[in-house]
Amino acid sequence: MDKAAVTTVQDLVQPTIRATNVNIYYDDTHAIKDVNLDIPPKAVTALIGPSGCGKSTFLRSINRMNDTIPSCRMTGQITLYGDDIYDKKIDVVQLRARVGMVFQKPNPFPKSIYDNVAYGPRIHGLANSDADLDNIVFNSLQKSGLWDEVKDRLDTPGTALSGGQRQRLCIARTIAINPEVILMDEPCSALDPIATAIIEELITELKERFTIVIVTHSMQQAARVSQKTAFFHLGKILEFGDTSEIFTNPKVEKTKDYITGRYG
Amino acid sequence: MTDITPNNSHNIPSGTVPDFIPPHRTEKQIKQRLKKRYRKERIFKAVGLGGLISGLLALTVMVTSILTTGLSGFTESRLTIDVYMDPEIIGSLEGYSTEDRIDHLRQVNHRALIRNSLRIKFPEVKSRRDIFALQKLVSSGSRDEVRQKLMKSDDVIGTTIPMDLLASSTVDMYLKGQISRDVDQSERKISDKQLAWLDIMASEGRIIKGFNWKFLSSGDSREPELAGIWGAAMGSFLTLLVTLAIAFPIGVSSALYLEEFAPRNKWTDLIEININNLAAVPSIIFGLLGLAIFLNVFNMPRSAPLVGGMTLALMTLPTIIISARAAIRAVPPSIRDAAIGMGASKIQTQFHHVLPLSMPGIMTGTIIGMAQALGETAPLLMIGMVAFIVDVPEGVMDAATALPVQIFLWADSPERGFMEKTSAAIIVLLIFLVLMNSLAIWMRHKFEKRW
Repeated sequence: MDKAAVTTVQDLVQPTIRATNVNIYYDDTHAIKDVNLDIPPKAVTALIGPSGCGKSTFLRSINRMNDTIPSCRMTGQITLYGDDIYDKKIDVVQLRARVGMVFQKPNPFPKSIYDNVAYGPRIHGLANSDADLDNIVFNSLQKSGLWDEVKDRLDTPGTALSGGQRQRLCIARTIAINPEVILMDEPCSALDPIATAIIEELITELKERFTIVIVTHSMQQAARVSQKTAFFHLGKILEFGDTSEIFTNPKVEKTKDYITGRYG
Repeated sequence: MTDITPNNSHNIPSGTVPDFIPPHRTEKQIKQRLKKRYRKERIFKAVGLGGLISGLLALTVMVTSILTTGLSGFTESRLTIDVYMDPEIIGSLEGYSTEDRIDHLRQVNHRALIRNSLRIKFPEVKSRRDIFALQKLVSSGSRDEVRQKLMKSDDVIGTTIPMDLLASSTVDMYLKGQISRDVDQSERKISDKQLAWLDIMASEGRIIKGFNWKFLSSGDSREPELAGIWGAAMGSFLTLLVTLAIAFPIGVSSALYLEEFAPRNKWTDLIEININNLAAVPSIIFGLLGLAIFLNVFNMPRSAPLVGGMTLALMTLPTIIISARAAIRAVPPSIRDAAIGMGASKIQTQFHHVLPLSMPGIMTGTIIGMAQALGETAPLLMIGMVAFIVDVPEGVMDAATALPVQIFLWADSPERGFMEKTSAAIIVLLIFLVLMNSLAIWMRHKFEKRW
């Protein structure tokens, strides 16, 4: 009863991202097939599925990172708060300021920690003064839980940090431009368990402010951090629903096989 | 595990597990095999080491041969002669204004001053021929030295002052041991009489050896003892400046465009193949191109570093483009993703991240291309930078020659004195090359320290 009530409320809320009949092709390969997905606001949506099922491709289509791949074609519609993001009127640079991304491999710029975080605000002109910029950097590092660790060495290169710190720096860099959505492409796959736990905790905190879509290979991670889960298989979404529902009572046999580790 | 079927292309009967047992090897066999393996390794190492050693040997021989012939090119010989500033030859200065005086002193017969001073030193020399031979001991450039002394102050008129006058190239060669006095005088350029005079001067301590500053500071000359490398060095410097100014921006932007912006199709493939082929085109072809286009079509000045630089830029472009493309390709794609994911535009991604990160590689490629251009002779011959030019060029439009061309010119000269000048110029060229390569390494480190 309770659960059903929650679902109804969430269904009433306009989704942040709505994908309708999305098909993505790489040359002749049909990578994403007729995907329909509503991603709710201020929550974590996990995309799970075996390798090569297209979840990263789908994730990258949300901030049009696939535009950089010449062979990639897309049909269908993806909207962000009702705006068609593939519309000609949409400026892709502006879109990426609204939809930030954290990658699988921590990839801070080979610049100082400060410059890493300040880069986004600088190119988007978000700070009116140096003090403003300092403030944004401080806030972003604080929110990503990195401030106490790096406050004395903001001028040291971001690449000199440890793996987990680097990934948090990338998160700080992303939230510095105050996006509406943060996409995370297996953010913990290159990290040790402790660093992973810290990032997961951070994700849980961040969902209060941001809509988060995360691709992960770890079932436990999906179960721990997400509220909604979509199971991708061979380019299709086989099942989408509340995480608790999917992990306890999957409706599709394939999902069950996958989350119990019998397949994938 | 159940549905594994043996691959029948290997002739394994289906359904059965092949009972293949590896043949037993005795300890002796194993040892022999091992021995063979180690022998192969030793042979490979020995061949590699041999190649390295023979390369080093060749290098040592080359450097030693250049140094032994070339180092003496940096020294010169001088003869201390008591120069009598004969008022009769200089003439009266009465009634002249200061400017006229200097003008007059410039035009004095300095040659006669030196000749008379030598005759005072060796009064027994009487015949015209001998006086001429005596005079031949000092270089024709010593006239300038006397002239300068005289122009500096006319107080010296009427006095005798000891001056270290530049010895002629023949005397210099003899003093450096390159002319043997054992052979008959008909077979050497220095006569017995001249040798006798030199012996007298040597016994009086009038022969001085010193560093040849003129070699580093003056332009070319017909006289080996007066010839210098500075004109050619300046010409090379100006030429390279033009080359760099043209080839670097065009090369780097072409590389950036081809690597990051151009679509991959058969046109870009064609361009890529052509760029790679251009790097292998003989340099003289570029010289012909420069001659045909810059000189004949655009009527640009002949022998000028501007045209030389433009021609060498054509030659250097492929090198820069290829190395810049490699450097740009070496920038990890994750950095591009990061920048694009942050909402940087394509051009921002390139200029904020890709270019700075690939700069060390681009710099190295550029400097190697420049070093190549510095050593290039053939294209410069085609556009007339091979002329005999005495003046040091002051701009890119002045007629000039370049270091390797100067070496070529001197190597071609019949005078014996130019032999050591050739080697000395090679030393200077090599020093420049080493300096440029050191600069490349230094720059790379400096840029890499900025991560």
